[in-house]
Amino acid sequence: MPSLLDHRFLFVVGKGGVGKTTVAASLGLAAARKGKRTLVAMVNAKERLSSLYECPPITDKITNVAPNLDAVNMTPAAALEEYGMMILKVRTLYQAVFENRFVRAFLRGTPGIEAWAMLGKAYFHAMGHGPEGRGDYDLVILDAPATGHGLEMLRVPQVIVDVAPPGLLRREAERALSLFRDPQRAGCVVVTLPEGMPAHETLELHEALTKDLAMPVPALVVNQLLPKLFESGERPLLEALPAKLDEGSPIASLAKAGRIRALREGVQETSLALLRSIDAPRVTLPRLFEPELGRAHVESLSRAFD
Amino acid sequence: MVSSSNAGASSARSLADVLASHRVVVTVGSGGVGKTTTAAALALHAASEGRRVLCLTIDPARRLANSLGLDEMTVDEQEVPASLFERYGLEPRGQLYAMMLDTKRTFDALVGQYASSPDVRERILGNRIYQYVAGSLAGTQEYMAMEKLHAVRQDPRWDLIVLDTPPTSNALDFLDAPERLVDAIDSPAIRWFLQAFEGAGKFSFNLVGKGAAFLLRSLGKFTGTGFLEQVAEFVTGINDLFGGFRERAAEVSGALRSPEVAFVVVTSPAPLAIQEAIFFSDRLREAGMRRDAIVLNGVHELLPEPQAPTRELEAALRRVEPGLEPERVVDGMRRALEDERLQGVADRIESERLHHRVGDEVLLVQVPALEEDVHDLGGLARIAAHLVTPTERARA
Ligand SMILES: Nc1ncnc2c1ncn2[C@@H]1O[C@H](COP(=O)(O)OP(=O)(O)OP(=O)(O)O)[C@@H](O)[C@H]1O
Ligand SMILES: Nc1ncnc2c1ncn2[C@@H]1O[C@H](COP(=O)(O)OP(=O)(O)OP(=O)(O)O)[C@@H](O)[C@H]1O
Ligand SMILES: [Mg+2]
Ligand SMILES: [Mg+2]
Repeated sequence: MPSLLDHRFLFVVGKGGVGKTTVAASLGLAAARKGKRTLVAMVNAKERLSSLYECPPITDKITNVAPNLDAVNMTPAAALEEYGMMILKVRTLYQAVFENRFVRAFLRGTPGIEAWAMLGKAYFHAMGHGPEGRGDYDLVILDAPATGHGLEMLRVPQVIVDVAPPGLLRREAERALSLFRDPQRAGCVVVTLPEGMPAHETLELHEALTKDLAMPVPALVVNQLLPKLFESGERPLLEALPAKLDEGSPIASLAKAGRIRALREGVQETSLALLRSIDAPRVTLPRLFEPELGRAHVESLSRAFD
Repeated sequence: MVSSSNAGASSARSLADVLASHRVVVTVGSGGVGKTTTAAALALHAASEGRRVLCLTIDPARRLANSLGLDEMTVDEQEVPASLFERYGLEPRGQLYAMMLDTKRTFDALVGQYASSPDVRERILGNRIYQYVAGSLAGTQEYMAMEKLHAVRQDPRWDLIVLDTPPTSNALDFLDAPERLVDAIDSPAIRWFLQAFEGAGKFSFNLVGKGAAFLLRSLGKFTGTGFLEQVAEFVTGINDLFGGFRERAAEVSGALRSPEVAFVVVTSPAPLAIQEAIFFSDRLREAGMRRDAIVLNGVHELLPEPQAPTRELEAALRRVEPGLEPERVVDGMRRALEDERLQGVADRIESERLHHRVGDEVLLVQVPALEEDVHDLGGLARIAAHLVTPTERARA
């Protein structure tokens, strides 16, 4: 198995708010540091990569954000145009076909086409044209939409292969699919939190990815791990402590904080145990107590991927 | 940012008022902020107040079931048993039902209901593109959620429907779905396209002219032959299916703006979530929809620092809990308190900022972070109690 950063294409997936964008940003920095030409691509998301990288807003034009590291926020319209160009190669032909307003409207109305345009664009950046091709980047990291919509997007190439008759579209989808399913070159980095519901949902997500979509999972990232302050034996006592105190006890607020922490560490422990059933290398990232994460924080988180 | 009379301004003083005065309540917001929890808690509250409530989730993650004590959320409505209410000391004066949206089934049902003939129905259901589209492809979910909401709204069994939604960017899709569906299915482009395919599903070049024939041939090269025909068949089918879809969509679209529908924007105290909540709230107003309340969910209490010297703290701990090693545990508790206070301070700042930003224009409700995850009806009931409490500012 290649190490994580030696892949060509990584999807970052997980339920909403678990830290996918943060992980994509950290992976990007780690890969770039290793000398990989790297592209972090968001999928028409409310852009927040720029606040993590502390750079100007990231648009649908690829921008350089650090040495070896570019970022883009793909939009369906721009992706469709670029993707169409990459395929048809001749601009006049592209313009004649894709810029026809009827064709445009038609493509917009065909479900899945927009998702495919963005996937296809990201694919081209990694692999270029030929079967053993090289694109502009050694590694493309795609910050996928949250669970449900992320899975829908990942399913699109298979749907095209199943539905489209032999032709260019189908051939491209087949090529993309063979990359996405190749554990030597690609995979889904699954992000989760060490909390009850997220852990349960992550098991389902992992199953959907590996069974239904036949995609490799080269890493499970457990984000926002709290350092363990208390032993398991101390936890029940701490949980019961606030109730035992007299009014005005000097340790009232300490006990309250202690109870909250003990409860959380307990949940964390069971969640980690639950996640152990996922057969994938595990990376943990610490919970940072910062109102807003910036460049320095992402730098420090990215060390976990070295 | 001044409110106008038609949208945005809310005279409600608490979420209890919002619930009482609406037939549909929609929770929206970005990922993981507590939309599902809020929806379920509001539904629970209304049910315990005696209403017949349907809590409908279009969230792909099947979470709601757990919070409502159901093993699994199903696509048919399930009643939350009265015994469960009682177990948590709640009075089940009304009824609470929950269900989740199944996109494929909703779509199939629509086909069954609206196809102009059994023939057309079979042709649509047998179309390969339909088979995939109806199941999973991006966008369909929002279309069908809208359909479902429309259907349940007309069901006299419910006097309140609480609708949970997927995270913001998709929730926006959801709000736009009626317009987009009309655009996609009844646009000049589609009409042009269908004309080209009229007859035996072949390009009828004389109808569309030379230029168009070239276009279709080039597109066909891209998609492979036969694909466009499949798409055309699909689109024709859908066109037939929705017959008067334009009116339907207009109806739903209008309904989302009707005084009968309330929007509750949910956010966590994280700066980015708040930014999105404000963005969403502005979008709602631009779209002529109401935003009846913003719920700031999961606010950490700002715990005070201990005043006594460490030795006294350790002695106090030793007195009540001899089982804990005082030095180690007081130190641990200090670190835990530090983390809590950092959160508490940050949350207070964000809360102030949000108050300042939205002013008195929108009802702002604050829900504290509970010590534990919400995983049962009891937890939901506690959230509900906070949700329906009138806020200081709202009273002022
Ligand atoms: N290790 C961490 N420590 C502290 N805060 C974190 C950490 N990782 C992420 N966060 C915070 O959690 C929030 C969500 O993170 P992020 O935006 O990366 O999640 P996401 O999965 O991309 O969300 P979405 O599904 O909305 O795209 C952000 O406010 C971020 O700053
Ligand atoms: N006030 C609260 N205190 C403690 N935990 C909470 C609170 N509100 C929500 N939670 C917990 O936070 C998690 C996320 O909540 P919920 O599922 O409602 O979010 P959501 O916005 O619906 O997420 P998604 O975008 O994934 O659908 C759940 O585990 C829930 O139990
Ligand atoms: Mg993100
Ligand atoms: Mg939800």
